[in-house]
Amino acid sequence: MSQEFDQKTEKGTFFRRWFASGEPWIWLNAAAVGISITAVVGILLLLAAKGLAHFWPSDIALITYESESGEANQVYGELIELDTLPVEQFLESGGPNTWVAEGSQIMQRWLVKTGNRKVAGPDFRWIYLAQIQTIDYPQDVMAIERLEWGNAYGTPVSVKLPIGAGVADQMQNTQGNEVVEVVAKRLQTTRTIREQIDGLEGGVLNRINNDLERLRLERRKIELAGIDVPRLAGIAEEEQALRAEYAISSAELRAMYSELNQGYLLIETANQQSIRIKMSDVLHTWQPNPMTSLQKTALYFSNLWRFLSENPREANTEGGVYPAIFGTVLMVLLMSVIVTPFGVIAAVYLREYAKQGPLVRIIRVAVNNLAGVPSIVYGVFGLGFFVYFLGGNLDQLFYPEALPAPTFGTPGLMWASLTLALLTVPVVIVSTEEGLTRIPRSLREGSMALGATQAETLFKVVLPMASPAILTGVILAVARAAGEVAPLMLVGVVKLAPTLPLDANFPYLHLDRKFMHLGFHIYDVGFQSPNVEAARPLVYATALLLVTLIVALNLTAIRLRGRLERVYRGVES
Amino acid sequence: MHDEDSLGRLSRRRYWTNRITESVVGVGGGAVIAAITLIFAYLLWVVAPIFASAEIEASGQFQTADRNTAFVDISENGEVVSRFSEQGVVEFYDESSGRPVAAFDLGLQIKKIQRAYPLVDLYAVLEPGGLLQFVRSQHIVSFQDGQRQLKSSVDFPLGREGVQVGDVTALETHLFDEALLIAVANGTDLALREYRNVELGYDLRDARQVTLSTDFAIANLFIGPRNQWVYALGSNGEIEIFGISNLRKPTRIYKGSLVQQGQQMTAVTALLGRYSLLVATDDGAITQFGIFTDAVGTRLDAIRRFETPEPVQRFVTEPRRKGFLAIDTSGSVHLMYPTSGRQLASFEAQIDPDRPLVISARSNILITAPTNDTIALFELHNKHPEISFSSLWSEVWYEGYDEPIYSWQSSSADNDFEPKFSLTPLAFGTLKAAFYALLFAVPIAIMGAIYTAYFMAPAMRSWVKPGIEIMAALPTVILGFIGGLWLAPIVEDHLSSVLSIFVVLPVGLVLLALFWSLLPEQRTRMFNGWYGMIVVPLIVVTVYTAFAAGPWFEEALFLGDSRAWFRSELGLDYDQRNALIVGLIMGLAVIPTIFSIAEDAVYAVPTHLVRGSLALGATEWQTLVKVVLLTASPGIFSAVMIGMGRAVGETMIVLMATGNTPLMEWNIFEGMRTFAANIAVELPESELDSSHYRILFLAALVLFAFTFVINTIAEVVRQRLRARYGSL
Repeated sequence: MSQEFDQKTEKGTFFRRWFASGEPWIWLNAAAVGISITAVVGILLLLAAKGLAHFWPSDIALITYESESGEANQVYGELIELDTLPVEQFLESGGPNTWVAEGSQIMQRWLVKTGNRKVAGPDFRWIYLAQIQTIDYPQDVMAIERLEWGNAYGTPVSVKLPIGAGVADQMQNTQGNEVVEVVAKRLQTTRTIREQIDGLEGGVLNRINNDLERLRLERRKIELAGIDVPRLAGIAEEEQALRAEYAISSAELRAMYSELNQGYLLIETANQQSIRIKMSDVLHTWQPNPMTSLQKTALYFSNLWRFLSENPREANTEGGVYPAIFGTVLMVLLMSVIVTPFGVIAAVYLREYAKQGPLVRIIRVAVNNLAGVPSIVYGVFGLGFFVYFLGGNLDQLFYPEALPAPTFGTPGLMWASLTLALLTVPVVIVSTEEGLTRIPRSLREGSMALGATQAETLFKVVLPMASPAILTGVILAVARAAGEVAPLMLVGVVKLAPTLPLDANFPYLHLDRKFMHLGFHIYDVGFQSPNVEAARPLVYATALLLVTLIVALNLTAIRLRGRLERVYRGVES
Repeated sequence: MHDEDSLGRLSRRRYWTNRITESVVGVGGGAVIAAITLIFAYLLWVVAPIFASAEIEASGQFQTADRNTAFVDISENGEVVSRFSEQGVVEFYDESSGRPVAAFDLGLQIKKIQRAYPLVDLYAVLEPGGLLQFVRSQHIVSFQDGQRQLKSSVDFPLGREGVQVGDVTALETHLFDEALLIAVANGTDLALREYRNVELGYDLRDARQVTLSTDFAIANLFIGPRNQWVYALGSNGEIEIFGISNLRKPTRIYKGSLVQQGQQMTAVTALLGRYSLLVATDDGAITQFGIFTDAVGTRLDAIRRFETPEPVQRFVTEPRRKGFLAIDTSGSVHLMYPTSGRQLASFEAQIDPDRPLVISARSNILITAPTNDTIALFELHNKHPEISFSSLWSEVWYEGYDEPIYSWQSSSADNDFEPKFSLTPLAFGTLKAAFYALLFAVPIAIMGAIYTAYFMAPAMRSWVKPGIEIMAALPTVILGFIGGLWLAPIVEDHLSSVLSIFVVLPVGLVLLALFWSLLPEQRTRMFNGWYGMIVVPLIVVTVYTAFAAGPWFEEALFLGDSRAWFRSELGLDYDQRNALIVGLIMGLAVIPTIFSIAEDAVYAVPTHLVRGSLALGATEWQTLVKVVLLTASPGIFSAVMIGMGRAVGETMIVLMATGNTPLMEWNIFEGMRTFAANIAVELPESELDSSHYRILFLAALVLFAFTFVINTIAEVVRQRLRARYGSL
């Protein structure tokens, strides 16, 4: 690389020659590539490390430490991370002098997840190494995932449960070694009951409510249009029938809840405080300390599965992200159903049908530029035009009975899909056009010469050959849409949607409903939630999920494009 | 043998398929292109009304019973007109038809009546004997058999007893936070009565009373916001302001005059919120005085001036906004708005300034009673008076400030708040974020592109390019999350370490390069083109070293506390989420955009140019600088432009990695608020078709136009370049 033949610099020092050769500058340029690579890999590794670690059942330590007032104290908790800070900062924030080791410049401290919120203050606390006397890992300490207030840590003491199903008053108290076993068995029962409750609430009761709402709207419609007495009487009858059905089902539901709400688990914290937890609040228990790596791995994957398949709890800071996954996928599917035909037709029009001239060139530049228009602008347009203008008018025309409650005149799934379709249509157009340009003229001419019409040439020759390019465009569009958040915040995403946009009630796909989205979930939980520290691991996990999805989609598109290039090299030669 | 018929059928089908395809493609293609133009058209359509001029037009009048009209008003929803006559009769009329709806006799004589306070639905009614009563009118909507019915009524919500105030030259009352303040002036005396725990529907209880006196006969009284102070004005601009936050110890906080020597005051009023006074003088000038209090004391500043051809005789203020109507001696009406300084419209209405005049709650109707048996209505088309080009982009002197400023503050808890819609801080924030992002991204992206296109081994290039594409696909919400929640606390805690990377990395790089050039060339030759990989361990080691050496840097350079050092030595405040974080993280989002385009441009430089240069004896580096970069420079320029377009419109990163405060400081350690983030935060909460809503659309339009223009320039440059490559 360094060919040192410059006559003038030969007499100069080594450094002058070296600089003149450009070698340092080449290294500087190389460093720029290195920084980019490091950044991408670093971000992916960071997300993977932090996101995946969240599901690992780490050991629960019993930490014996000296509190600030000098008393000995004990606490159970998971050691999260070891942090270092300068001594001065420690002293400035009011840390006691006595903890500082002589001559030391830094202080080290553990971030400990102590759980037991509501009983012992915040879930997380810092404990300095200087405070800690011993760290043990007792065998019997148990972690309990609660329905509310996060995890609890403690040693199980006793469990009180009804003797048999239906015998509400007689309770049996179990103590000692059998507690764990009894709790595990009871958890299976509560899980079954919970499933039944979900089935009832999501099934029959949901349907009844839906029907009642439908009848209410029908009555309102009749009232608006003019009185139709026989139909009104019919509606009243139907309503009565539904209410009767509702009464039966809700009695059933009450019975299930009362069965669920029985029993208590008593645990003891590290400083001998006992906590009574309702068995119905216990979702999951585990004792990580005696577990083998294999058992932990099994638990790890079960946790991972629960994250993917469960509903969120506690203002999204716990539980799973299932509705967000569902919403993202459904929205993206709808979007691609809209964007594919339009993008392809527009590209075919520009390349195959329109007369090539300055106008088409301008349109092409405009389409290219639209890919560079900020996504938030599309969101603003979507909110103004789709939601308020189109939606508002649709409501006036077709849903006057529901007013003033808007049906389509409010952000929702359909508007979100449309907005994102508009946002990604340039991607599909550009990619398809690229595919169309690569098809040699001779193929089209050959087809025409054989007597095929232009449409036949298009469907039988051109489009099949361009299909990988179209697919690439759609995949890139989907990847872009899955990662967009800003426009969705305006046109349909919410932090918590009570129902999925797809269910068993007519018309099954509810285009007017708001939905949850992985990207917005990250923003919301990471920045709007009251307990960011507790929610952070969950956000990393969600981010990892989203990144995995998008990187996979992009890699597919890149692969596809690569194959396409190879195929055409063959055709062209 | 097959008859021609079937062939004909077939060809007919083929013909029609062809035709239909053609029209579907034509219509579909046209629709997509139309949709794209629609975006621009729709944004413009929403924005346009804010620059529309205002209009006043007479919308009719109707007959009433012939009584001495004391006061007219119109209900909140604009449906019912009410008239109070001196005989104590209240009549309600339907606004559109003029049909009488209801009438009540209050059973008292009215000497003086006024709305108790703007935004308060009460009338203060003074009887000839000096008894002050409070009257309320209500218009209740109900549905009966699907029919909408409106029922109007009057009552005395604070009891029938009234307050004896004696002789009155000026009067104002205010009900705020369950405290009713009655200020009554009689000559030079000013009596203040305060009733506590006032609730509508219950009688007034005991009052606390104080009496003050001024050096002049009081002609006008205005109670300040939240009953904090009271303005007393004489008939020729003499003014005293009393602080009454503590009614036991009222203090005079200001004394002066609102007119210059030789001028005559012709009208005065206070604007909504009572933070500023409007004074008209006999030379046709209107001056807005704003009250400002600081440690030195209270003063009145002349905030702005309006001019009218004739002296103004009467002001009518809008009850929900700060706008006002000025009626001059010729009877012309001038509609004006303080914040924007706009003289919105004038109308030769021949309105008698001495007759009752009121603007409706929605500021769309002016109502007056020209004679005792008519009521006249005027429509005011004036939706967005607070916006003008200068109020959006220039410094504006808002109420409560001592100088004109740039400010964006779109909402507040108070009803009498003056919205501050200056786009300048947002434009500044947008450019600041883009500037710092590009500062970081442009060198890295361009140098990386040069290396990748020109020096890199093909085997490495084949995965570096897709790798960078993956980087482009990283959702910005994730980058923003990493910036705001991971990087920001790290940088805050280890500021000196992070800054030292910028020193240590180049030094390490030079050392590595030196070391490399000392190695025997046979050994290193096989690694030519792989430098990009070789530096990765160096970068990792450097970052690690910088963090390990952080405390030492902190001690040596910044006296042990870098943030405090920046504050005391350079006057730079430190926010946790700041422009440095945005620059780094948004830089990462912009790098791939610039990189891809610049790399294409460098890679596409025709090889015969490179070979020619090398053949003439230039080194590779000389060829790169003198031939390749020069040829590719338009492409690199357009890469930077497109990168800038992306940085300007990026939303989630700035939303999550800055504090979103609309500051106007270049300080890298402080945050900013950008157009995009502002839209994302405020648009969901803004009311449809309000000024705020339209201004946010304007912000989107500005973003759209800016990025569109930038991208077009870049695209045109790129196409030219392609043509040039073709001809080379």
